[in-house]
Amino acid sequence: MSAVIVRGLVKVFDGLRAVDDLDLTIEKGEVYGLLGPNGAGKTTVIRILVGLIKQTSGDARVLDRPAGEKELANRTGYMPQELALYDMLTVDENLDLFADLYEMERSRIGPRKLEVLRFVALEDRRDSIVYQLSGGMRHRASLAVALLHEPELLFLDEPTVGVDPELRAGFWENFGRLKASGTTVIITTHYMDEARHCDRVGLMHRGRLVAEGPPDEVVARAGARDLEEAFLKLATTGAGKLPAARASGGVRP
Amino acid sequence: MKARRVLAVTKRVFRGFKHDRRAVGLLLFAPILAMTVFGIAFAGNITNISVIIVNDDVGVSPAPNATPVKLSEQFIGSIDKHVLSIERSDNMTSAVAKVRDGRSWAVIRFPANFSAAVMGRVPTTITIKADKSNQQVYVAILKALRDGSDKMMQKSGYKMPINIDDKDAVYGKNAEFSDFLIPGVITFAIFLLTTLLTMLTFTTERVNRTLDRLLATPATEVEIVLGYALAFGIIGTFQAIILVSYGVAAFHILIEGSLLLAFLITALLATTSQALGILLSSASRTEAQAVQMIPLIVLPAFLLSGIFWPLEAMPSWLRPFSYALPPTYAAQGLRSIMIRGWGIDRVWPQLLAIVVFLAFFLALASLSLRRRR
Repeated sequence: MSAVIVRGLVKVFDGLRAVDDLDLTIEKGEVYGLLGPNGAGKTTVIRILVGLIKQTSGDARVLDRPAGEKELANRTGYMPQELALYDMLTVDENLDLFADLYEMERSRIGPRKLEVLRFVALEDRRDSIVYQLSGGMRHRASLAVALLHEPELLFLDEPTVGVDPELRAGFWENFGRLKASGTTVIITTHYMDEARHCDRVGLMHRGRLVAEGPPDEVVARAGARDLEEAFLKLATTGAGKLPAARASGGVRP
Repeated sequence: MKARRVLAVTKRVFRGFKHDRRAVGLLLFAPILAMTVFGIAFAGNITNISVIIVNDDVGVSPAPNATPVKLSEQFIGSIDKHVLSIERSDNMTSAVAKVRDGRSWAVIRFPANFSAAVMGRVPTTITIKADKSNQQVYVAILKALRDGSDKMMQKSGYKMPINIDDKDAVYGKNAEFSDFLIPGVITFAIFLLTTLLTMLTFTTERVNRTLDRLLATPATEVEIVLGYALAFGIIGTFQAIILVSYGVAAFHILIEGSLLLAFLITALLATTSQALGILLSSASRTEAQAVQMIPLIVLPAFLLSGIFWPLEAMPSWLRPFSYALPPTYAAQGLRSIMIRGWGIDRVWPQLLAIVVFLAFFLALASLSLRRRR
């Protein structure tokens, strides 16, 4: 069963086609990487799927419902690129706010806060005010907030931008553990080297998907040494979708 | 709509203040500072105006060889010396030269026949050669002279042909200028601070994308706006309590009516202002742009709301703009309650106007958070 189904999605901002006739299918339980340079349209796709903006045309379904439906909010988690934490609150107070907004059962809040804080290894900083935290800690706190209400589908927009290599490795370890617990994880990134951790990747260029599949396959099909080179080849030929891209759906773990 | 989510947003605002002492300082001390500055600068009477009196009055002798009685001296003695600092001169030319040099505000000259004329009930003229470059000073000189004249007449037993008795006032019997001013200061401080603070807070919510994160939860736009409204309504009431207490303690302002009603008006004004702040934040992409909007809020409120000048002082074509601003009604309502002692049976039109603004701005603020098409 698919977690996300997107067909003919178009988003036009001031005459610019940020997303241009995009088709995308993401299966439940996979870690899917939406790859591409800045401005490729990745964030716009995520924002449409989360329901923050409306598409100009086309169809976007999330967990079998139209994207943006409020009923979906309880089942999805979202970590924006900007981290989106309240700087003047402690980590714990940030978590409290979202626990209430998600109407978590009160007896569940305390233990669950501890779980997510342990998950991101931040339990000893829970009473620190966010603006006092280092950049890496803020990234971890932001992930903790997105995980708090135990969503089955996670949208992580550039979760590793500006994060040091060690922490990035830790993050990908976390995403693997989430997948193991049955969570579907959709990640955007412009670090091509990270994408090898994904089950499948979709390469975006100028609002379109130019290639899709397991990282190794995409690299092989493009006749490249790595994803970076594959992307450069595909982007410069401007070939649009590879014929095999859509058919490679069966990579589920 | 879920109360728990509304309250969560309210709690978030207060928790933010808990760690942000500067914002708390702004909320609590800025209104007090504003009231102190306005109270002292505007509400205080003008004192120590230096004037020169040239008294040519020869007086009237009750009997031959007796010392002449000079009513002009009784007049001068009756002038409030706190207001006018009086210097004497015999020479009109040198006295006027002092005014010309800016060392004095006016020369006041009593004519030679002053006493004779008053006693004989014949018209007489006190001449004032004044520097009218500052109208407030000039008006204060005239008022001091009028008060002095009244007092002198009363003491000497000479009756004026026309008397105006305004001591039995309908409202504001003991009102001073500060009593008119301070309800305006309260309105201005609460409107301005709340609008600015919500506008900046909400611009930050947009820039930091915390607003996106809120909207990605089950919370609706209305719940978020109401959560903020509740927080700023409470803060506004709190500010009003501080300001009124301070006004009573420091400026002895009149409070003829119900304090609760006054607090209700300020709470509604604060809530309306925060909704306006949210609305205005949607026009800014960065905090810097939001700061540029501050004059757009300050100037109309300051100039058009009848906060510091009566609406009657405005050209009639500007009045419709005044009536399009919530602080106009808040200031009118507060003045009616505090000085006239009116109850809800008579200030309901102002109250209703603010409630209408509140509903309108809350709806618009919620719509402004809707996802963009």
